[in-house]
Amino acid sequence: MDKLLSSLVTELRRGTLMLAVLSQLRTPQYGYSLVQLLEESSVSIEQSTLYPLLRRLEKQELVESSWDTTESRPRKYYVITEFGIVILEQLKAEWEKTTKELQNLLKGDVENASD
Amino acid sequence: MHLIDIYIQEVTRRLPGKSRDDIGLELRSTIEDMLPENYSEKELKEVLNNLGNPALLASEYSEQPMYLIGPKYFDMYMTLLKMIIPITALLAFFVIIVENIITYSGEKDIVNGIINVIILILGHGIWGMISSAVQTFFWITLVFAILERTDASKGKSSLTPGWTEWTPDNLKSIPLISKEKRISTGDIFGSLLRIAIFISVYFNASDLLGVYEKVQGKIQLTIPTFNQEVLQSYWLIVIVALILEIAFVFYKLIVRQWTSKLAIMNMVRNIVSSIVFIVVFSNDRLINDEFYAYLKDLLHVPLELKNPVIIISILLCLVFTLLDIMQGFRKGNMK
Repeated sequence: MDKLLSSLVTELRRGTLMLAVLSQLRTPQYGYSLVQLLEESSVSIEQSTLYPLLRRLEKQELVESSWDTTESRPRKYYVITEFGIVILEQLKAEWEKTTKELQNLLKGDVENASD
Repeated sequence: MHLIDIYIQEVTRRLPGKSRDDIGLELRSTIEDMLPENYSEKELKEVLNNLGNPALLASEYSEQPMYLIGPKYFDMYMTLLKMIIPITALLAFFVIIVENIITYSGEKDIVNGIINVIILILGHGIWGMISSAVQTFFWITLVFAILERTDASKGKSSLTPGWTEWTPDNLKSIPLISKEKRISTGDIFGSLLRIAIFISVYFNASDLLGVYEKVQGKIQLTIPTFNQEVLQSYWLIVIVALILEIAFVFYKLIVRQWTSKLAIMNMVRNIVSSIVFIVVFSNDRLINDEFYAYLKDLLHVPLELKNPVIIISILLCLVFTLLDIMQGFRKGNMK
């Protein structure tokens, strides 16, 4: 039961992670700073999912990366591209639409259940 | 520090060469970011535990699929397997049986006779069938695994056997097959087995068929039923009929259902086969005189048996042929 639930939750959240990550990349972030940023808004993300996700987004040209070697430890910074911003805005609109639709649906579910 | 190196190695060795260094470097700086100054081994383990199994992490990075054949190709893959494996397996079975019969040396020792010959030849046939099925399976799988990895098109939907995206028009080319009209694999296999048995008996009839008696404690074939020379002198027309039979079985394998066209072909092959049968059986030297004599003793009949046997054989052949032809038309014309 718990196992099923957690796999369903993972599936439900899979697509939203990209949205969460893209939204935080208007300023350049490196891997761990992004994790902390997301956790501040209490969005928890598996790290083993996050780093590969960043690379995929880079490949899709939604973000770009650069190595910063000026500090003691080299870090790879990611920032959203112009194209990424366009896509992000569209995804945001889509997300708001979907949540509204779902809210209506789920509200209907509660009303039906109380009948 | 040591554990970090191993962890990074375990991730990067699973990745394609060109992305290894970059991912390794990024992973190292990330791990170090997560660790406090002067960390203990326990803290390090906790961080690595957070990143999870290196194999899983590598699979997330990897763009190659972690499966052999994905949903896009799976249906086509299965369809082709189901279509091609029976054909190649049956063909191999058949070719090997014929090959074995032709090279069969015809030992006279009948204790090792009919049953052993059949078992031996069938054994070779079944072995050949299995190995050709495994071969076919391997090559088809290999081709699809390569396709899966080289296909650049991003479409995720399952393809149809015609390699195109599905549209409702595809349905028009598929017949609706009722249960009665369907030709089962068992039916086809049975036909081929009958043909194989027939070939093995035909070429070795004088060693296999006849009266078996116990001679000096050994069971031996004392009176062969058929005169092998006479039987074999008809080889040309027998082979023509056989080729027709085999072609018919393979045609059945492809169309998979009875149609009126198939019924007509069934009639043609039945007519050809029974003509051959009648031609061969009407030769009065086909069955050995000794065998007739033996039969006469056995049944205690005073009549000459030769003509009745020939006539009854031919009549039986005609009846079965007629029944089979009618059955074909019944199935073929069914709605």
